[in-house]
Amino acid sequence: MAIIEPIPLDQLNTEKLASRLERAQELMVPDTLFIQIMAHAPGYAEALFDAMYQSHALGNVDHSLKEIIRVRLARLAKDDYFGGLRSKKAIDAGLSEDRIEAGCGDFEADDQFSDAEKWALKYAKLMYTEPKKLDTAYYDLGKTYYTEPEIMELGAFIAFHYGLQLFMRTLKVMPLSTT
Amino acid sequence: MIDDGIDNYETSKNFTPAEKIALKYSDLMDSDPDQIDEAFYDELKKHYSSEEIVELGSFIGFNIGYHTWFGTLGFYPMFTPDGRLVDQEESARIYGDKPISHTKGAMQRAVDGAPEEAAE
Repeated sequence: MAIIEPIPLDQLNTEKLASRLERAQELMVPDTLFIQIMAHAPGYAEALFDAMYQSHALGNVDHSLKEIIRVRLARLAKDDYFGGLRSKKAIDAGLSEDRIEAGCGDFEADDQFSDAEKWALKYAKLMYTEPKKLDTAYYDLGKTYYTEPEIMELGAFIAFHYGLQLFMRTLKVMPLSTT
Repeated sequence: MIDDGIDNYETSKNFTPAEKIALKYSDLMDSDPDQIDEAFYDELKKHYSSEEIVELGSFIGFNIGYHTWFGTLGFYPMFTPDGRLVDQEESARIYGDKPISHTKGAMQRAVDGAPEEAAE
């Protein structure tokens, strides 16, 4: 028995959730299971899905880079649900499992990543392991690669996804399907 | 009460068993999430509905994620604990002591740094 029983799709409020369920099936991060769980709390499925979609699938920072960061964070959080999901949009754009693995590994010594990508990957790596290293000098270096709005986009994306990964980890759910 | 809920919630008489397990939920989510297992959720369900658990869990996760990020940005609250608007330098002096506690220092530092008319 699940820790929190997902609400069956046919019992969800389709007026509010239909478009989100479609987006979830298109992007696959999160899949519809996330909505079925969050829908227990009125308003949460809409608000959290929208924030997750906005921060991951939209914005100016490369979606495939954010997908690598998202998987890296899920592994840090030990969340099998989000760690197992893969963005269909990123896969369609050419993101491979090898590149995701490289980004989750020793990316700093890997020539396939640009200096800007390495800065962003390290930003995510340090955020929840050694946040004191994200000092003014680190942000100053980041501003040579990204605009302030892009750094805010990255930071908010990292914080939001990692936070929800921490919660989902404890529910011990798995992705609905492989991509 | 806030400091008690952070430092002594398990032994404090200020909190009900339902409040204590909610505080423990937030404590463990950050410090030792392996302990939030099915048995923990079974106990949580004695006090809270599925709706409330989803609300609590996502609220806690969201806050852990955002507090760490905001900590790296070096911002401080716009207002002192007693409601005075201050600049970031003054706010850093008031709230910069870790962990931030209003009763253990921040309030006194706010009063000490207040203009005379505001402190009266």
